[in-house]
Amino acid sequence: MRVSYNWLKKLIDFEFNPQELASVLTSIGIETSVVSKECCWSNVVTVKVLDIKKHPFANKLFLCKVTDGLNSYSIVCGAENISLGQIVPLAKVGAVLPGNVKIKKVKIRGEDSEGMLCSKFELGLERKSNGILVLDKNTKIGIALEDILRSDSILEVEVTVNRGDCLSHLGIVREIGAKIRKMPSLPEIKTFNVPSLSCVEVMPGLCPRYIGTLISGVKVGTSPAWVVDALEKSGIKSINNVVDIANYVMIELGQPLHVFDVKKLDSEKIFVRRANDDEVMVALNEKEYRLDSEMIVIADIMKPIAIAGIIGGKYSGIDEKTEDIFLESAIFNVDLIRKTSRKLNLLTDSSYRFERGLGWNITELASWRAANLIVEVAGGVIKARQDLRSVKYEETIIGLRFERVSKILGYDIKRDEIIEILRFLGINLRLKDEMILCTIPSWRNDIKIEVDLIEELARIKGYDVIPAPLNHKKSDIAITYLSNDLFFPPIVENFRIKLNGLGFNEVLNYSFSEIGELEKLGLKYFYKITNPISKENEVLRPSLLPALYKNLLLNISYGCERVAFFEYGKVFTENGEKKTFAVIMWGKIWGEWWKWLEQKIVPKYDFYFGAGVVKNILPSKEFEIKRNLDPESYYHPGKTASVVFEKKSVGQFGILSPMIVGDLKEDVFYFEIGLDSFDSVCFSNKSFYKAYSKLPIVRRDISVIADRNLQFSEIEKVIEVFMRSNNILRKYSLISVYSDESKFSSNKISYSFRLSYRNDDTTLTDREVNENMRALLHKLYVELGIELRR
Amino acid sequence: MKIGPFFMDNIRLIVNEVVKKIKNSDNEMLESVRSEYFGKNGILTKILKSLSHYSIEDRKKIGFETNKAKAILESEIEKRKEDLKKALIVQKMEKEKLNCSSIFYFPFSKGSFHPIVQTMQDIVLAFKSLGFSVAEGPEIETDWYNFEALNIPKSHPVKDVQDTFYLDGMRSLLRTHTSPGQVRVMEKQDPPIKVIVPGRVYRNEASDASHSSTFHQIEGLRVDKNVTFLDLKVILTKFIHKFFCCGELDIRFRPSHFQFTEPSAEVDIQCFSCKGRGCKICKNSGWIEMLGCGMVHPNVLKCVNYDSELYTGYAFGIGVERIAMLRYKVDDIRLFYENDLRFLKQF
Repeated sequence: MRVSYNWLKKLIDFEFNPQELASVLTSIGIETSVVSKECCWSNVVTVKVLDIKKHPFANKLFLCKVTDGLNSYSIVCGAENISLGQIVPLAKVGAVLPGNVKIKKVKIRGEDSEGMLCSKFELGLERKSNGILVLDKNTKIGIALEDILRSDSILEVEVTVNRGDCLSHLGIVREIGAKIRKMPSLPEIKTFNVPSLSCVEVMPGLCPRYIGTLISGVKVGTSPAWVVDALEKSGIKSINNVVDIANYVMIELGQPLHVFDVKKLDSEKIFVRRANDDEVMVALNEKEYRLDSEMIVIADIMKPIAIAGIIGGKYSGIDEKTEDIFLESAIFNVDLIRKTSRKLNLLTDSSYRFERGLGWNITELASWRAANLIVEVAGGVIKARQDLRSVKYEETIIGLRFERVSKILGYDIKRDEIIEILRFLGINLRLKDEMILCTIPSWRNDIKIEVDLIEELARIKGYDVIPAPLNHKKSDIAITYLSNDLFFPPIVENFRIKLNGLGFNEVLNYSFSEIGELEKLGLKYFYKITNPISKENEVLRPSLLPALYKNLLLNISYGCERVAFFEYGKVFTENGEKKTFAVIMWGKIWGEWWKWLEQKIVPKYDFYFGAGVVKNILPSKEFEIKRNLDPESYYHPGKTASVVFEKKSVGQFGILSPMIVGDLKEDVFYFEIGLDSFDSVCFSNKSFYKAYSKLPIVRRDISVIADRNLQFSEIEKVIEVFMRSNNILRKYSLISVYSDESKFSSNKISYSFRLSYRNDDTTLTDREVNENMRALLHKLYVELGIELRR
Repeated sequence: MKIGPFFMDNIRLIVNEVVKKIKNSDNEMLESVRSEYFGKNGILTKILKSLSHYSIEDRKKIGFETNKAKAILESEIEKRKEDLKKALIVQKMEKEKLNCSSIFYFPFSKGSFHPIVQTMQDIVLAFKSLGFSVAEGPEIETDWYNFEALNIPKSHPVKDVQDTFYLDGMRSLLRTHTSPGQVRVMEKQDPPIKVIVPGRVYRNEASDASHSSTFHQIEGLRVDKNVTFLDLKVILTKFIHKFFCCGELDIRFRPSHFQFTEPSAEVDIQCFSCKGRGCKICKNSGWIEMLGCGMVHPNVLKCVNYDSELYTGYAFGIGVERIAMLRYKVDDIRLFYENDLRFLKQF
């Protein structure tokens, strides 16, 4: 909301300049900034008119000589009201006027003009002006115009949702008053004894209070400048004098008002009722609204004439012919107004205030204030009035215990100060023992319990005056630890640190996915967002893959040759939210290196490298890599494996299926693992020291020829069984895979192994090793038909 | 036989001379020196061989002096050998000189941690060092935990501020803040409580430079007898000093409103970019909002059956993205979720 500095100042006397006022308001909970000075004139000074001549080549222009006391200037001027000896404002060369008008030295019809004599319009003070602004005769010359016409400042205030009472100049002034301990001075509001009306009928539950005032004989026309000016500063358009006053009182006192043209109503009675389903009303904004029974309307016998608290109907609006008006000042059901405003997607200055709640007494004050001003500005007579209360206003009384203040705040406020602050907040006090009974003013519907009052005290006193001693210690703090005291499960920390060392980058993605994207990857979704803002967040991700794959493509499109990412986050599956970790890698394993380029080595991520990474980062031996029995459909069925923990498959890895990656030439490796079973497993406690031999290792290489179709894991199985049956073969590794049709048949393949032997107690002899190798070969031959390559 | 008057002096003279010689020898010459003096027919060997010709007293003197000379010469030879070896290595190294400019190095890829995760971990660490333990809550929440238990009634304008993503019709929702964690912790245990709840939260709003539909928060909660607003101020001031490691930037506590705290405050930190003078980043205010906090509302305590007369507590919620933006001078929140390597590699 925008408020005028000058207006506030009229209502209460304070010493702050606009900037200071903004920080004072901010410090008591109303975040305020100075929008701009309403006008800023640089280089505009007062000058005296010394000489006036007709322009030789233009009928309507004059050549003037003016002086600021030091220099004189030649100015071309078109104003008819100019005369000798006047004091007028001169925008000198270099001045900038509202609307970003820059003043330059120009020639007008052949005559030099060293600036411009200004009208109120040109200075941004009026919307239309006749002639230049003539200042008082005694005005000094050569001084900045700003110093004579002190312009206003506009403040933008952000009021928290609980403080509807601050949505007016009066509201802001009350807050300033509490801070500086002064009472605001309200304008004089006259009340009259007028006949009572009984034309309004209210259905129960809709409208606690309705005040209607009948004013007849008004003359609708344009508003006086002070009204237009005030509205403009708050960002409200001027319409006509009657409507403008309604709006003026709203920004003055906070009560939204509405005015009906009595002659346009089809009945003498006015009803405040629920709308009928599918009832239609064209509003003042020319739009048609379809209503339902959860909305309140003001209606005559035939039709709705306003959507209560939100907007008036076009039909009953005020126009130039209006003579008799019915002025509404009311309180409506807050919930219904809120719902209606959301449903119709119609947020107005009025609905904004109603939703936040209004003070019981302000309604009455505002009705008299508006009636007074309408009569003053548009003429007419207050004919009659109805104040319909469908509920009884009950005062809120809250007890405040002195002792509780310091118990909550942690510091003392003196009793006198407590009493003073509460008084200036408009609270009526009665002392009772160690307690004050506080009668809360009607506009403060946010104060409901004792602690609300304590906040008022802290707020008005200022949070920043509370000391924050950093050595402040409490002795009775017992610390409680929850069972899960780690931010990340330990296994995630293990993954992150290892991958970081391997040169991988951590990413974070949104938790949302598009259905279309999931379908492409063969993924199902389990959670659909009821109210998504766009396609991008229509479902919750069931896997980290869609976003990681997108990240990959994005970076490839930027020309990256290597992408290696990992992410930790939640995925949303049929079993609810699951902690998940994933790795994606593609492209060159290392950047190109001159030494390797010489040998034409450019290593790229493939299944084997990726699987090596997975094996390397798994935190303990309890994780086994096994054949993938149920691979996700996004994997290449022949290039995938699974990670098994305690006999359960917990993760899968592999190369993404060519069906998905399409044109991408290089392999994309992906690994995803569910972490919920290891939430608090600390893997460093899971391995034990084993004594090792200090005797030397004997290495032997052997090459064998196997059937090409034989699963390699079968060979491994045989070797492992063999290793377990003797205690000298300790390790084997694959050192070459080789096929050569010239040497052996094409359905055969050769593998070379490096075998490491060691005996824990004695040094091995050649004989022992040779015997063992022979035994191994025998086993391979018997079980798998594998022969030694000769 | 008697030793001549200059016998001993002569030995010393020989030693001096030979030492000089050694210092100018190469490996080959060293061998010839060795045989000349210590060999079978070496001068010193000869002297030792002739000892039997002298009296016992002289034998001792000559023996001592000769052995001393031998020891000196041998150590000189070893020293010289060592020097020659070193000289050789120096020569070798001179030949092996590489171009050491970094362009020749092996191009290991450097890994990185995401700035949001780093910031979150650092905040968690700071609070752990202040005695807080850590808890976690679900991202899919119910209306009860996200709103009602936090004193946010069904129809309340605050629900507009926190536009919510709903799931399964309206049955469940994505939490709009980490505050449901407060309620879950209090349900699980009795005071005293001193806990933080970090996590991901969601708001149904269009993203721009400072808003994102997904972001992270860290909730803090402390409930005990005699916990006051002053304690809250102290703990947050300590945290800010700890986290930003300096008192360079000013902080301010400003009254505000949250349904689940009373009194409520927001904490602003002086704009890092303009140091309070006003700029685009702080929208000319000189201040940047950092967190919301307050004393736990009695209605919230009642919801978990705590005696609000006996126990008081404070709570706070920190926006991780906002702090990360401050910390790394990132001016667009969306950068955190784009995952462009050129961005990620900077952290």
